Amino acid sequence: MRDYEAIVIGGGHAGIEAALALSREGFDTLMITQSLDAIGRMSCNPAIGGLAKGNLVREIDALGGEMGHLIDASMIQYRILNRSRGPAVQAPRAQADKFSYSRLAKETCEKQEKLNLFMDTVVDFIIEEKDGVRRIVGVVTERGWKISAKVVVLTTGTFMEGRIFIGEYDAPSGRLGEGAALGLGKKLREYGFHVGRMKTGTPARVRKSSLDFDELEVQDGDEEMLPFSFDYEKIDRPSQNCWITFTNEETHKIIRENMHRSPLYGGKIIGKGPRYCPSIEDKVMRFPERERHQIFVEPEGVGTEEMYLNGLSSSLPEEVQHQFIRTLPGLRHCEIMRPAYAVEYDYLDPLDLLPSLESKVVSNLFVAGQTNGTSGYEEAAAQGIIAGINAAQRLKNEKPVVLGRTDAYIGVLIDDLVTKGTKEPYRMFTSRAEYRLSLRHDNADMRLTPIGYKAGLATKEKMERLEDKIEKIEAVKDLLKATKRDGKNCYQLLTQPENDIHTLSVPGLDEYSEQILSEVQLDVKYSGYLKRQDNEAERVKRQEAMIIPENFDYDKVDGISAESREKFKAIRPHSIGQAGRISGVRVSDIAILSVAIKGRNNG
Amino acid sequence: MTGYTTEEPIYALATPFSPSALAVIRTSGTDAISLVQKVFKGRLTDRPNGTAVHGWIVDKNREKVDEVVALVFNHGHGYTGEEAVEIMCHGSLPVIKKISTTLEGAGFRLALKGEFTYRAFLGGRMDLTEAEAVEELVSAKGERGRKDALSRLSGSIKNEADKAKDEIINILASLEVQLDYGEDDIPEEWIFPIERVDAIINRLEKIRGTYASSRLYSQGAKVVLAGSTNAGKSSLFNALLKENRAIVSSVAGTTRDYIETECEMNGIPVRLFDTAGLRSSGDEIEKEGILRSKELMDEADLVVYVLAPGEVEPKEKMENAIYIHSKSDIAPGEGITFSSITGEGLDKVVDAITTFLSRDKRSVSDVPVIESERQERKLGETIDALKDAEKARDCSVDIIALYFQSALSALSELTGETTSDDILEVLFSSFCLGK
Repeated sequence: MRDYEAIVIGGGHAGIEAALALSREGFDTLMITQSLDAIGRMSCNPAIGGLAKGNLVREIDALGGEMGHLIDASMIQYRILNRSRGPAVQAPRAQADKFSYSRLAKETCEKQEKLNLFMDTVVDFIIEEKDGVRRIVGVVTERGWKISAKVVVLTTGTFMEGRIFIGEYDAPSGRLGEGAALGLGKKLREYGFHVGRMKTGTPARVRKSSLDFDELEVQDGDEEMLPFSFDYEKIDRPSQNCWITFTNEETHKIIRENMHRSPLYGGKIIGKGPRYCPSIEDKVMRFPERERHQIFVEPEGVGTEEMYLNGLSSSLPEEVQHQFIRTLPGLRHCEIMRPAYAVEYDYLDPLDLLPSLESKVVSNLFVAGQTNGTSGYEEAAAQGIIAGINAAQRLKNEKPVVLGRTDAYIGVLIDDLVTKGTKEPYRMFTSRAEYRLSLRHDNADMRLTPIGYKAGLATKEKMERLEDKIEKIEAVKDLLKATKRDGKNCYQLLTQPENDIHTLSVPGLDEYSEQILSEVQLDVKYSGYLKRQDNEAERVKRQEAMIIPENFDYDKVDGISAESREKFKAIRPHSIGQAGRISGVRVSDIAILSVAIKGRNNG
Repeated sequence: MTGYTTEEPIYALATPFSPSALAVIRTSGTDAISLVQKVFKGRLTDRPNGTAVHGWIVDKNREKVDEVVALVFNHGHGYTGEEAVEIMCHGSLPVIKKISTTLEGAGFRLALKGEFTYRAFLGGRMDLTEAEAVEELVSAKGERGRKDALSRLSGSIKNEADKAKDEIINILASLEVQLDYGEDDIPEEWIFPIERVDAIINRLEKIRGTYASSRLYSQGAKVVLAGSTNAGKSSLFNALLKENRAIVSSVAGTTRDYIETECEMNGIPVRLFDTAGLRSSGDEIEKEGILRSKELMDEADLVVYVLAPGEVEPKEKMENAIYIHSKSDIAPGEGITFSSITGEGLDKVVDAITTFLSRDKRSVSDVPVIESERQERKLGETIDALKDAEKARDCSVDIIALYFQSALSALSELTGETTSDDILEVLFSSFCLGK
């Protein structure tokens, strides 16, 4: 086997972005996956996007990533969520045809120059130690290949020492029917990585022709499908329906009576599961007063009978699943095609990572996706693209690309992971982003395309599209300012809640697309509130700009409290800003630290 | 997170927050000069470094606040090395407060303790090893940090503040859940909990009201000398002023009936009133004077009732009064006695006054004045943010959440930090979520 410049372990949502980023930047890259048929597979729900997650997808696209293109080509229903709750916090979500999605993902990787795909399982790293620094220089596979590379991106998803649970049944698998990646987890523990266990779950899939549709409520999508990617403006495809049903007292009774058979309650699973995506057992136990829970019935794709029961994830035995699922209206005669199951897997403590997603334990190793304790396709892809970009930066000998909390949801995601760590599978939420009013999904290109372009990933065409958009936005703003009504210009009028850009009838606006108009409208309407945020954001940015040298010796700084010193040494913050966000660190310790760093830089 | 920064315009009182002849308020940061100019009558911009400019601080309605001298420091000079203006104003507490508010309106933020020194370091204006300054940073440690601020809140007040905070967190969680989950998960529209918000505001107003030392320190305690004519009130008034030299001003009352002055007694700022003697009189003007004396006595934090030799304490005592006996040089008596002529017993009078003022309040020396000033300000910010939220009740949820976040972050500086994880915690435990 020949040598590569870069190896990406895993072909999931993180692996795809990392491998494409590296090869698109011109590096000879190998993606090693356990199954070439499972590239870009959606293990759980057949949807991409949602609140905060939709923003992530558009940010990935803005940087030059692939997720936006993949979902655009495979969406079968599109909705903008939270239209009524404020334009700045709404986000797109699309139902996907899972099979088209993953087929296109594989095809994209195959067509990509400089990217090779290889089916095998990585069981060990080749690590070299020089001057006290350990560096990864290659990997060893199950079939005995030793492949060398200058950088490695690790994206194992739920496969590293994965184990699935269905009631009393359990088996080493990363997904139902797919074997776990065994061996690497043990090796990583030996190398001194902090390895833990996490748990997630997925509901049953039922056969469409066995459903009683007259008992289900239809949930349709928006009339118009809009792309996640900024590279084009339209998607023309018929929209598919989803359906809604509810659990009832009988469902809950069956679940309660069989609770002791759940591996979650029986203590077989030790990994921590996500509170925001509880199993139906959890919901019934934690909210006993609730008479019913809403369940969404979603198609897994267009060419399949399989339907996904969103909200019914469970690890109860299969015969119990049969019983309780058939108490729901519309599902009384349903045929279960795949059972619900829980999966427990190894993850690596993200506190061992630099903000570039490079490991502090072994250099030149980058880690992304569920391996870092996150959940969700979008979260995985977001880390994948950053890990890929930064592995490429390393190969180019350039500074890592670190997005700030003020720049992107991706920045919030990674900063949270590497600064605070996580105790449950980490999901992106709008409420995690302090500057969410400015992190809108529609302006992700304005925020990030220049960064992706500078890093060498976003294409020239993408950058030109953005420049054209900026020009148009400025032109619309100028038109608004130039048009007067009752002594005020239309720009000022638009700041008032009752006015709308479409009804002000400003001449010349017809030439501009709806997207441009609505973006200008949001900019103007939120400008007052954004100002409030801007001061704070400026302060954060200044602290982010104060970089702490990598080899900084915290023991040599007098006056820092012992508690903070330990935290600094463990987390090794990248900047004063990051240091300040470590929980429990005192403001005065940050001040002393910044003085010491400034002194050092001056000296 | 709040923390030290550079460049951002900040201000702070550089002299102690107590009545004195002069006080110095320092500013620093980008465009500090033109920002002060916004509230300054006189020209500050385009001056050579170190120019002292005489002028007036004016409020947003261009009303004069105080006559001051402003020292202009251009970039690269001054304490921090940043652009700066130092304002020398009159050292009366209301004036200092008003100037502070005015500067905030102009875009300055109250500096954190040690922040000027911090900037001086970073600006290269001070040697790193300069011991004094390092010590200031280190000693600031004990006092900074929200946990420490937390310990300053006494039991019952902290309790109340925590309750208010929990309420805000609950409301915020109910808002955030709308932003974290779509309308298909949480179909219910959010309804502004006006009664709950009113209740929080009332609770916080109550804390602010009962937070006596803050009022005591920011406005001064109102102490009224009263008694019958010729009891020796005016002599005592003058004697107390002589003893307590931190006199700011001695203003004649707007009418001829009473005299008011500011002074400091054992560290407590006091507004001392000398009133017309109480007696029945046919003189119309004097009658009016007596009426006003009575009004003053009702409003007073403390009435110091001066009894001449031979006078006895009234049977029905006022709750807010202490009774003292004058002219001890000619007629020694029982209780608190003093002589304005010999000075004998005046210290006991002062002690009695300050003991009364700080009764059922925390020991005065334990409370750094500037901290209580800060705490009151934080309470005020919280209340203002909640009121803004009420005003914005018809806006979309993302905007309303902004105000509740501001309220929470201000209150958190009193009660300890709240993170987004705390809010998610409440959110997950109160709402059944997740598909």
